[in-house]
Amino acid sequence: MSRRAKENGAKIIRYRGVTKRYGAFEALSGVDLDVHAGEVVCLIGPSGSGKSTLLRCTNALETIDGGEIEFEGAQLPRVERTLREVRRRMGMVFQSFELFPHLTALHNVAEAPRTVLKARRAEAEDRARAMLAKVGLSDKASNYPAALSGGQQQRVAIARALAMEPDVMLFDEPTSALDPETIGEVLSVMKALADEGMTMVVVTHEMTFARRVGDWVAVFDAGRIVEQGPPRQIFDAPTTERTRDFLSHLGWHGATL
Amino acid sequence: MNFDWSVVGAHRDALAAAAGTTVLLTVTTMAIAVPCGILVASVRLYAWAPLRAIATAYVELFRNLPLILVVYWAFYVLPIATDLRLSPFATGLAALALNVTAYNAETFRAGIGSIRRGQLEAAMALGMSRAQAVRRIVLPQAVRRILPVLASTWVSLFKDTSLVSVIAVTELAYVAMQIRAQTFRVLEMLTAMAAIYWLLGYPQAKLVDWIQRRYAVTE
Repeated sequence: MSRRAKENGAKIIRYRGVTKRYGAFEALSGVDLDVHAGEVVCLIGPSGSGKSTLLRCTNALETIDGGEIEFEGAQLPRVERTLREVRRRMGMVFQSFELFPHLTALHNVAEAPRTVLKARRAEAEDRARAMLAKVGLSDKASNYPAALSGGQQQRVAIARALAMEPDVMLFDEPTSALDPETIGEVLSVMKALADEGMTMVVVTHEMTFARRVGDWVAVFDAGRIVEQGPPRQIFDAPTTERTRDFLSHLGWHGATL
Repeated sequence: MNFDWSVVGAHRDALAAAAGTTVLLTVTTMAIAVPCGILVASVRLYAWAPLRAIATAYVELFRNLPLILVVYWAFYVLPIATDLRLSPFATGLAALALNVTAYNAETFRAGIGSIRRGQLEAAMALGMSRAQAVRRIVLPQAVRRILPVLASTWVSLFKDTSLVSVIAVTELAYVAMQIRAQTFRVLEMLTAMAAIYWLLGYPQAKLVDWIQRRYAVTE
């Protein structure tokens, strides 16, 4: 589906003038961005430019200081109780996986359906098995995280988020902590998800992924989006100096795909 | 010097009963001090500031008082201050529990603090409440991490129960001292007492080591 077709879809997340400060440091200084249903939006830019902060504000792991974030037509609640309702509809995948080390892969995935959705044990575990199968890890269900490779851990983390049947998935540099040889397996799981029509917001340094899978790319610099558009525009015909600098810094010299 | 070890055998029933009391005192104290320690640690970490200050004051008070003083205080002051008439056993138990709870609270607080913030965030991002995240995700990891400290607290406590002999709780130290006073077999009774404490304490320490190996979490 093209971006244009997806734009007809509902806006799932709408950021307007979002600001965030840590003391004197302004991490976000007025960010506007729309995420439509079924779309893969990639946030790229140098470290410390605010892209992870925006992602963490999306499910209120960080609170914003100004502007607004709407999720499915309603402003993000401030009360913890209603916030939980929103969080369960957003899956999050962390750079450092954050699997629960005291639980097996199966129980990592079954935990939230059990505690949050109050599913019965058998039902939660069936669902967990289905999610592990989806990320190609059926045979690792009884392994503890320590006995899994980085790529496998991250795939379990994706399964854990999917088990809540979220409306949108947030990925915070999902491959940055991985060995090069395991990055591919995580990216293919993400690609498969995108192909199924999952709405995804992905903070990434994988330019090939952003170009090939992304429907929309936003380039961050110093707390602002300096340029956003379809990947073809961003990677082949960037309009701002900052985007060109950033891409050439990464060794990106036009389309190589 | 003459030794007469028959004195130990002659009083074996009394010594066995006393050793039973010592074990009971240790187990009961820990059964109170572990949940209470978690509670106090949680208050210090998560509660409303005034409650947090009270919990901190409690911990700092009992952690820095000699246990024997707390035992005496519970025995002499508690009945006057609160009109409560407790048996020596219950009084000793209260003093030990107050002391060990303060230590456990600090142990749990350190354990919880050692779990990466990302774990709490990952749990909350899944829609868990903070309380669920702490109970289901943070605490089980923290407990495994502090098992060695809890184990040494346990072994210390087992020996420290001897301090409640000063308020005539009929535990091992008190009974052994009574027999010593009646029979004048000082060396025999002290040796017997040491042997019983060691023989009971060592397997406990080993058991806790085993639990720690069994439930250790590798990351």
